[in-house]
Amino acid sequence: MPHRPDAGGPPVSSSITVRDLLTAREVALELELLTAGVPLDVHIGTPDVSSPGLALAGYTERFPDGRALVFGETEMSYLGTLDPQEAQARLAGVFARDVPAVFVTRGLDVPGHFLSAAARASIPVFRTGLDTGDFYRVLKPYLEDALAPTTTVHGSLADVYGIGLLFTGPSGIGKSECVLGLVARGHRLVADDVVLVSRRGNDVLMGKGHELQGFHMEIRGVGIIDVASMFGTRATRQRKRVEIIVDLETWDDSREYERTGLEREVTEILGVEIPRVTIPLNPGKNLAAISEVIAMNQLLAYSGVDVPTRFDDGLRKALNPRDSLIEDYE
Amino acid sequence: MPNRLGMHARPCAEFVKLAGGFSSSILVVRNEMRVNGKSIMGVLMLAAEKGSSLTITADGSDAEEAVAALANLVRAGFDE
Repeated sequence: MPHRPDAGGPPVSSSITVRDLLTAREVALELELLTAGVPLDVHIGTPDVSSPGLALAGYTERFPDGRALVFGETEMSYLGTLDPQEAQARLAGVFARDVPAVFVTRGLDVPGHFLSAAARASIPVFRTGLDTGDFYRVLKPYLEDALAPTTTVHGSLADVYGIGLLFTGPSGIGKSECVLGLVARGHRLVADDVVLVSRRGNDVLMGKGHELQGFHMEIRGVGIIDVASMFGTRATRQRKRVEIIVDLETWDDSREYERTGLEREVTEILGVEIPRVTIPLNPGKNLAAISEVIAMNQLLAYSGVDVPTRFDDGLRKALNPRDSLIEDYE
Repeated sequence: MPNRLGMHARPCAEFVKLAGGFSSSILVVRNEMRVNGKSIMGVLMLAAEKGSSLTITADGSDAEEAVAALANLVRAGFDE
């Protein structure tokens, strides 16, 4: 497989503070801060969240340090069954660990001793009106999103027939012009020039533009244009999975280009391998049409049709009719 | 970044024009943003205000001249 240096820069460490949760507008966590005077600029380092169940019962050997804790009805009613001194000792044991924040769900009452123990350990306590299950469902994806490894890639990302094509290549090669051609044909711009790419799980890359940039792009000779106001809402998309890298380069006679599609090239971004198609440019090439073909080829691949391999199989059978006869009987 | 208005559109255009004259690849970094120094949208996205600091790196045969010329342009406040 031809070697190609990784695209994108080094991962940028994402981080989020407890304060960000309180001010997050994109999710409805319904948080109410119960502790006063506890610093909120504490970093949350992991998207994992847990409920302290067994730790409250005294088993702290496997306690997951660094996670935000969710106290639901189980935890709060369990604490209520203990005698007050015992309850305070158990809470103090849990709060002595590395806990960035505590959430109490269902709008439950939180006893004063609970709050003062947390405040002594500098742990902010929040109450949410959501029940525990719903709260997990809202908080987890939010944290995973905020803490996803992220990098910036110099390129342009477009949604072509639902496939995310990331165009890369040197400055001035025509990435923006290519995406403009696609937009004019009814496809959608995600980000031009600076693409923020983040990893979801182990194998998915999501791309989006920079907030400040919106859907502006530079067309050489014309200047900065706004695709959103020029082409309307159908021409833009906020974020898109990066599925194929289309690397544009000037035609190089000494280079071998892929001729059959049987060989697959990949580029690694944030540790995820993304299939890469290298398109050599020369005058008269219709990049938008080629890009549509790349996207449709991927749609075929998703539906289980691998055209080059199918073609090659047919050819092999034609070349060796006896082999295929044997195969048919097997 | 000495100039009062920071890197608004005109200084950014000056920057990428100068950068585009070099064959080296040029990277400009500010905090967590890393952008191509030859791309106007990229350099605009740095949103470098007065007093901010940029790191300019270049890779190629004329890398040293490129970094020196670009750093001079910024330090001179884009002659604004």
